[in-house]
Amino acid sequence: MNPAAVKTINRTLAYVCLIAASAFFIIPFIWLLSTSLKPLTQIFSFPPEWIPKPFLWSNYSRAIEYIPFWTFLRNTAVITIFSTLGVIVSCPIVAYSFAKLEWRGRGTLFFITLAVMMIPSQVTLIPLFLLFTKLGWVGTPLPLIIPQFFGVPIYIFLMRQFFLGLPDALREAARLDGASEFRIYLQIMFPLAKSAVLSVALFQFMASWTDFMGPLLYLTNEISYTVSLGLQQFQSQKGSEWGMLMAVSTLMTLPIIVLFFFLQKTFIRGITFSGIKG
Amino acid sequence: MKKTWKTAMLTLVNLLTASLFVTACGTSTGTGNADEPGVTTVTLWHGLTSIDLDNMNNVVKVFEEKNPTVKIKLVYTESSEGSDQKLLTAVAGGNPPDAALFDRFKVGTWAAQGSLTDLSDMAEKSGIRKEMYYPFAWDESSYQGKLYAIPLDTDARLLFYNKDHFKEVGLDPENPPKTIAELESAAEKLTIKEGKRFKRVGFIPWYSQGWLYTWGWVFGGQFQDAATGKITANDPKVVEALQWMTDFGKKYNVEDITGFTSAAGTEEMDPFISGQISMKVTGNFAVKGIKKFNPKLNYGVTQIPSPSGKDFTTWSGGGSIIIPKGAKNAEVAWKFLEFLGKEEGQELVNKDSNLSVIDAVNVKYGYKDDPIMKEFINVLPNSHNRPVIPEGQLLWNELASATEKSTHGNGTPKENLDRVTETVNKALEKYNK
Amino acid sequence: MEKLAGAAPAAAVPATRRKRSLRRIGITGWLFASPWILGLLCFYAVPMLSSIYFSFTTYSILQPGEFVGLSNYVELFNDPLFWKSIYNTIYFAVFFVPLSIFVGVSLAMMLNMKVKGMAMFRTIFFLPTLVPQVALSVLWMWLLHPNFGLVNGMLASIGIDGPPWLGGEAWSKPSLILMSLWGIGQAVVIYLAGLGDISEEYYEAAAIDGASWFQKTRAVTLPLLTPVIFYNLVMGTIGAFQQFTLPYTLTKGQGTPSNSMTFYVMYLYENGFRYFKMGYASAMAWILFVIVMALTALIFVTSKRWVHYQGK
Repeated sequence: MNPAAVKTINRTLAYVCLIAASAFFIIPFIWLLSTSLKPLTQIFSFPPEWIPKPFLWSNYSRAIEYIPFWTFLRNTAVITIFSTLGVIVSCPIVAYSFAKLEWRGRGTLFFITLAVMMIPSQVTLIPLFLLFTKLGWVGTPLPLIIPQFFGVPIYIFLMRQFFLGLPDALREAARLDGASEFRIYLQIMFPLAKSAVLSVALFQFMASWTDFMGPLLYLTNEISYTVSLGLQQFQSQKGSEWGMLMAVSTLMTLPIIVLFFFLQKTFIRGITFSGIKG
Repeated sequence: MKKTWKTAMLTLVNLLTASLFVTACGTSTGTGNADEPGVTTVTLWHGLTSIDLDNMNNVVKVFEEKNPTVKIKLVYTESSEGSDQKLLTAVAGGNPPDAALFDRFKVGTWAAQGSLTDLSDMAEKSGIRKEMYYPFAWDESSYQGKLYAIPLDTDARLLFYNKDHFKEVGLDPENPPKTIAELESAAEKLTIKEGKRFKRVGFIPWYSQGWLYTWGWVFGGQFQDAATGKITANDPKVVEALQWMTDFGKKYNVEDITGFTSAAGTEEMDPFISGQISMKVTGNFAVKGIKKFNPKLNYGVTQIPSPSGKDFTTWSGGGSIIIPKGAKNAEVAWKFLEFLGKEEGQELVNKDSNLSVIDAVNVKYGYKDDPIMKEFINVLPNSHNRPVIPEGQLLWNELASATEKSTHGNGTPKENLDRVTETVNKALEKYNK
Repeated sequence: MEKLAGAAPAAAVPATRRKRSLRRIGITGWLFASPWILGLLCFYAVPMLSSIYFSFTTYSILQPGEFVGLSNYVELFNDPLFWKSIYNTIYFAVFFVPLSIFVGVSLAMMLNMKVKGMAMFRTIFFLPTLVPQVALSVLWMWLLHPNFGLVNGMLASIGIDGPPWLGGEAWSKPSLILMSLWGIGQAVVIYLAGLGDISEEYYEAAAIDGASWFQKTRAVTLPLLTPVIFYNLVMGTIGAFQQFTLPYTLTKGQGTPSNSMTFYVMYLYENGFRYFKMGYASAMAWILFVIVMALTALIFVTSKRWVHYQGK
């Protein structure tokens, strides 16, 4: 067999695998999209149907009027953008210190960082709420934003793993040139860890964007609610407005899909340490 | 260098925080929080949507016209689990709303925790008395002889049956089963099974609203000793009810019907609506769903069959409105509670949507002349409410789990109910110190 | 922040000596980590310490309760549902964590191929993690309902009698594991970022040695991916033990059938927020802490053998 033929076979095989797996992963979204366009009577019809008959675009227009969608979207965006900014500012630098700098107490502090993740948030929820009450932050978005500026343990741990994976050669070279540790971090290491930073930003963006419990507890004014709280208003004990609920759910996911689509390129651009033997 | 970075960082954080405060304040003002002189704003947390929300807005409008010194601010929290948590944290944080809509079932628990305002004196002054309401509604709003909530609306469970299926198998659709024996034979006629798969199920006792509470009371059992307040889930009549449910399940092979009763089923995917099950016990809240999803369904509603074919009964839950402990404007909020508790408010708040807790209002709605609704109105005066105890949720969960265990053959009904009784009474001991 | 900035030593000390003493305690490291140290003290210390204290009391959220020493812990050990929930949680963790790592790494390697349309494929794999929780539980019902679900409907059409999925005691946890695999998108993103950080030169060197794809994977890809695999193993374990939202929404908090879906944190939540036994729930939380801590320590100890950092 000639190499070209092998290549074609490999390529075909790759596509077959990818498409098969994609089919499995795309189901939830296709279903969401299809349900968001169905009339109520069709949503739970038996046997289940994929294609809405007729396509009910009005689910979207009605849903946007039913809740103050644009206001909620703006509030969600504010909280999300600030908290994402928060983790970008705080997590990489802390992680860098854990991964690459020598200091007394580093091990202990890292151990504590891991430890705080092991207590289920359900039991710290009330004390934390009381803390924010004392600070006078309840009723504002601050509890959902400010903590992110001081670091989030999962992201610190993740970034640490990435920094540990970066060779020390670059740092040594820069240090010999007399650069300060902060400059090394900002100009060399931070850009090298770009894909990790972007992953962390993406995760925080998603977490804030879809967070339900946080806004529910801390926001006390309907005007400052987020979209995920708005979603609840399509549900009630006496039967839910599924079509509209799915329409808003779909709208909610679009920004993240677009964001991800453009971000994912950065994950493939493999870095090469030109002139440095790893 | 480091110092400059620190300062830069600090400035950045400060800048961001400042801009954040601007957005935060921008969103929180403009709602007119500042009261005009002489006007008090009462905050009410609720989880109402669509028609119920329209009704509530209407109540507020009428109330504010009558009470120019009071403004009611409605804040949507959520209608289920989340709203409890929000209220819970707010009460714990010492900053609760002035009033909140509240599941009546939880009044006992919250009152025992000392988190609800005692309304007894205010109710007496305003002339709000037990006789105005269905007995269960008042009982469920009270704990240890004190009133802690104003009941708002109610529900009831009855047997829904598919008239077309009845005709098809030669049963009289105008003469539904009255006794347990008749129910069993109808179920048998209606069931169509092919191998392990059901084409159609006649009836499943524990499906939908067929809780052990439902059957326990129908069989004449009691869940609480009126004199001592102790739980009596192992009352022989309750055991008998559970035994009957278990035997029923055995006959049709329980494992094969899990499909119909699996936890993942909600009211929307209701096999009764799609004609896959011929009879089920459910509440008046299902009527709306049927109208919405299958308006052509030809069905009837009848009293839940009892062993004797007489003394029909059921149980009811529903909503209420409470004033949390620590509310800032309790006295003013009471005015609104009072308005909702009296006939005028009742009529406005439940219009075209719920059953009122006041019989006269239900008559006014014309429910007595509606072939479906009249059955509910007829049973309400002898309906039960779940025991008002600090551990209501525990008892509920324990009963549900005893039902599941028994019907799946893990332990006998007697054993399981003895354990429920013991567990719950043990949990109740700490409140009697 | 200001406090730390002010903590810089006085300029009176000669520069060289100052540098040396600073080097010794690693002041730069402390400064870099300072935001997190503050964050820990402000937002984590108080809640954590409170919950330790609560675990020795009958705190009910609404009432402070009284100090009861170890009685919450003793009571837990005699609570059959506590043991059942531990069993369920361990079952889930044992199957899900290794499976998710295997599937995650395989998917990431597949998505790292250089073929056309990759952006679209990657986005597709990420989609399920975006569907809001509220919608998910309805979706599952629609797909897996034993009688009306799409999956069993399809199985029936080819003559297979489908399982009761979430309705059967034996099937509920495997169903949940399958569902959780759908939410693997985040882990895949992390693996992809990790794969992207592997220098091309390694592969070039391997190609010169005439290594096959399989050898490249074993000698280059997997070893260099270990820091990230290690992260996902630790976080996956922590996450699996705190499994809550999906089973809670699927079973409306009841853990049906027959408590086969009552996971540890679900039972904790039930106690804390529905029975108002926050003291008891806090005791549960700290027992969980000890279990997960022990496992994490074990992973860390063994990691020296199999995790390779390029930097070292």
